[in-house]
Amino acid sequence: MISKLTYAERETAFAIALATLVGGLALGIAGRNDVLGWQGVIVVVFAIAVLRPLMSSYYEPPVAEDRKVTYYDDPTKVGIVLAMVWAVFGMFMGVWVASQLAWPELAFDGAWSSFGRLRPTHTTGVIFGFGGNALIATSFHVVQRTSRARLAGQISPWFVLFGYNLFCVLAVSGYLMGITQSKEYAEAEWYADLWLVIVWVTYFILYIGTIARRKEPHIYVANWYFMAFILVVAVLHIVNNLALPIAWGQAKSYTIWPGVQDAMVQWWYGHNAVAFFLTAGFLGMLYYYLPVRAQRPIFSYRLSILSFWGITFFYMWAGSHHLHYTALPHWVQTLGMTFSVMLLVPSWASAGNALLTLNGAWHRVRDDATLRFMMAAAVFYGLSTFEGSFMAIRPVNSLSHYTDWTVGHVHAGALGWVALITFGSIYTLVPALWKRERMYSATLVEVHFWLAIAGTLVYVFAMWNSGVIQGLMWRTYTGEGTLAYSFVDSLVAMYPYYIARAFGGLLFLVGVLVGCYNIWMTIASAPLAASEKTDAPLLPIAVPGE
Amino acid sequence: MDFDHQSLVLFAKSWGLLYLMGFFLCVVLYAFWPSNRKRFDRAKNSILDRDDRP
Amino acid sequence: MAELLHRKLERSAVGFVIAIIAAASVGGIVEIAPLFTIDETVESAPDMRVYTPLELAGRNIYVREGCYACHSQMIRTLRDEVERYGPYSLAVESQYDRPMLWGSKRTGPDLARVGGKYSDFWHVAHLINPRDVVPESNMPAYRWLATTILRTDDLPKHLAAQQALGVPYTQEMIQNAARDAYGQATPGSDFTDGVTERYGEATQISAFDGVTTQVTEMDALVAYLQVLGRLTDAAHGNAAEATSASAPAP
Ligand code: HEC
Ligand code: HEM
Ligand code: HEM
Repeated sequence: MISKLTYAERETAFAIALATLVGGLALGIAGRNDVLGWQGVIVVVFAIAVLRPLMSSYYEPPVAEDRKVTYYDDPTKVGIVLAMVWAVFGMFMGVWVASQLAWPELAFDGAWSSFGRLRPTHTTGVIFGFGGNALIATSFHVVQRTSRARLAGQISPWFVLFGYNLFCVLAVSGYLMGITQSKEYAEAEWYADLWLVIVWVTYFILYIGTIARRKEPHIYVANWYFMAFILVVAVLHIVNNLALPIAWGQAKSYTIWPGVQDAMVQWWYGHNAVAFFLTAGFLGMLYYYLPVRAQRPIFSYRLSILSFWGITFFYMWAGSHHLHYTALPHWVQTLGMTFSVMLLVPSWASAGNALLTLNGAWHRVRDDATLRFMMAAAVFYGLSTFEGSFMAIRPVNSLSHYTDWTVGHVHAGALGWVALITFGSIYTLVPALWKRERMYSATLVEVHFWLAIAGTLVYVFAMWNSGVIQGLMWRTYTGEGTLAYSFVDSLVAMYPYYIARAFGGLLFLVGVLVGCYNIWMTIASAPLAASEKTDAPLLPIAVPGE
Repeated sequence: MDFDHQSLVLFAKSWGLLYLMGFFLCVVLYAFWPSNRKRFDRAKNSILDRDDRP
Repeated sequence: MAELLHRKLERSAVGFVIAIIAAASVGGIVEIAPLFTIDETVESAPDMRVYTPLELAGRNIYVREGCYACHSQMIRTLRDEVERYGPYSLAVESQYDRPMLWGSKRTGPDLARVGGKYSDFWHVAHLINPRDVVPESNMPAYRWLATTILRTDDLPKHLAAQQALGVPYTQEMIQNAARDAYGQATPGSDFTDGVTERYGEATQISAFDGVTTQVTEMDALVAYLQVLGRLTDAAHGNAAEATSASAPAP
């Protein structure tokens, strides 16, 4: 990979890595009396890990490559591998956390391993580690193909990818040490947040720059979603994380938002992180990889435009449905509820558009597990958005809020939609990028598919049951008009479902491990000879190219 | 800032709605504008061709 | 017109970016902008006091350990919640909370009004191992809190940062922060009087973890738990429907 860089580019890369190392040292020294010092050490180690391979092949002669006629796919390849690594980590943490709820002894009395510290490592690991790397990798791939232009940078894609992973590592290791803002999905502290801003701005410039180079007159709709994802996440991240550190040498900071304002900003952030991280970005994947894999154009391009603007516009209003019946002013709650229900329209338009694209290709869906991953993802997307709009209705929310029902909804979206569309995209991409004829084993893709579906269903049904039971028990009255159940009664009723959920999650995790093995074996197998004709119709873009 | 809460809320409620409608109209116009049809058709088919180079 | 505009916007990627911002920002502005003037709608609570340094340190431990992942601090305006947990939460009660800890999940019960519900001793035993007290519990054990000395040297910096953000800490409170933390957890010591002087007579002075020779993280956390819902009486005054549920005396 380094051999593809010119000497000047190697110098730039070296300078950036060295600057990071110095920054890490500074952080370590400034924070020597605080846990912050250890975060500095992690930055230094990370920078060295990047510097080492760079230095060892620094003087290798550059490989001549005509950049005008080739795409830049190395960052995408590395991004996919990183996404799978984070998937294993994040979902292992998920299974562990789920097991702790069933068997609390599994915290082993450690501070770092207690539920409150591990849970954010799960959410950050899967959302930002797995989801984020998958989004970065696929967005690099899609933007080049749809623009017919090479990435607008040779070093900046690497900076985005590695810089982003440094952020994830800092965040996750921080939670284990007790560094957190306790803001859901934005737990990382101020120094990591600042770093992410730099990385994200670079990502944005790179993406816009590539689009500006395009040879197609029209920007393909998948890019709209990726662009909205990059842009809005930047805004959300900055506003929600505005904070005042108590000292430059300490990790702790206080958010500038107090009380109710913090609640509103936090859930404006939280909900739109769902919208633009877990939805818009992955819809970008859907709108590219599903048509490509099915070898059919998207059913209605117009519909995709309408739903894009619908989603971009409506989601922003909906955040307050996380705060029904709270101290938030009533009109804000009503506004949030109304827009959440309206959101169903563009959401189902997207899901329907995807499914109608497959109309006429159902035999492929039957035979090709990769395409089936994407089909199932669209179904779960429709399902979880319907559920979300339903839960946003105040009386429904009075039951579902605070219960496992929310967790069930989350994972219907997270497992069923986010993870399945990602695996479908990755299985499409891996053979194409590494120029293999197909995945190492189609059977293993099939196995992964069924493990994932089974795991998701077990998980989601367990949580629906437990959530509704919990909600009902809390509000059940006896004939005399007193509350029928103590809190602990409701807790006891949860245990069977907690065990079932942990089992469902385990199935899902095993599926991911099968996927990792399959990807590994695919990469390790012999590449396709450049001129060989493939006769596999299901491999759309693994064709003689460069 | 010397806006009071009531007027801000009022502004938000009225102009917010108007903005919503206007925006929606623009998007619909764009999506259904006859001369755009060709561009969209080209776009949706363009990702399917197999030439994997810029 | 609209079509032309869009085509222009789209041709330059930057124009497209502007369109996205235009579409996306409105909702946020409309919803959030009015909240900057929300002080006008928030109930007033003249009796509201700020957290003492020890309580603030305890709150930061609550944040650090991620207790919010299982506990909410927001009693909704629903009958069963009011009867189970006490008067529903008011906006003013979290006006000094950075971050707010309303939470989104009740694996354990709401804690907004847990202050005074149990003795200090109960909390210590419960935190050391919840299953000693409530056998069915799945709450983690927090044994190490009782043996970890609380870091107090940086408390003035904490208070100063909060003051900079608008929490009404006085210079005197900031200067005495470390001493006050010690004083609140060691009844009868030289530093105790300063705490009640600065934070009011109702401030609880107690050897929270039962040991007065040192101030541990357990002291701080229990001091925080015991003040939850008791910084102001505003909620008790106006919540007529909160019949049976006013916080019992300690
Ligand atoms: C895994 C989820 C979980 C975490 C994390 C957790 N708790 Fe709990 N907590 C519970 C459950 C379940 C109960 C109810 C059973 C019991 O009393 O142990 C509870 C009960 C309590 C109670 C008693 C409330 C009452 O009204 O009876 C307090 C106080 C409490 N927890 C404080 C804390 C603090 C402080 C932390 C963080 C250091 C914490 N909890 C972390 C699950 C959790
Ligand atoms: C192996 C599969 C998984 C398991 C076993 C698992 C398990 C869990 C558990 C136990 C929780 C805590 C619930 C609670 O506090 O009661 C949780 C929360 C969460 N998980 Fe997962 N998870 C898995 C996969 C995923 C994936 C792939 C994603 C996202 C892409 C995800 C996103 C989340 C989110 C956002 C939350 C927070 C939910 C909330 O606050 O309501 N999880 N998960
Ligand atoms: C139309 C679309 C959607 C609507 C209207 C919607 C609505 C909701 C509602 C009402 C809640 C419960 C809030 C509460 O009571 O605390 C919620 C929680 C959540 N939803 Fe959705 N949802 C939608 C789609 C999705 C999708 C596709 C995902 C993808 C993964 C998702 C992820 C989440 C997460 C992570 C939470 C938990 C937040 C938390 O409490 O920590 N949602 N959503």
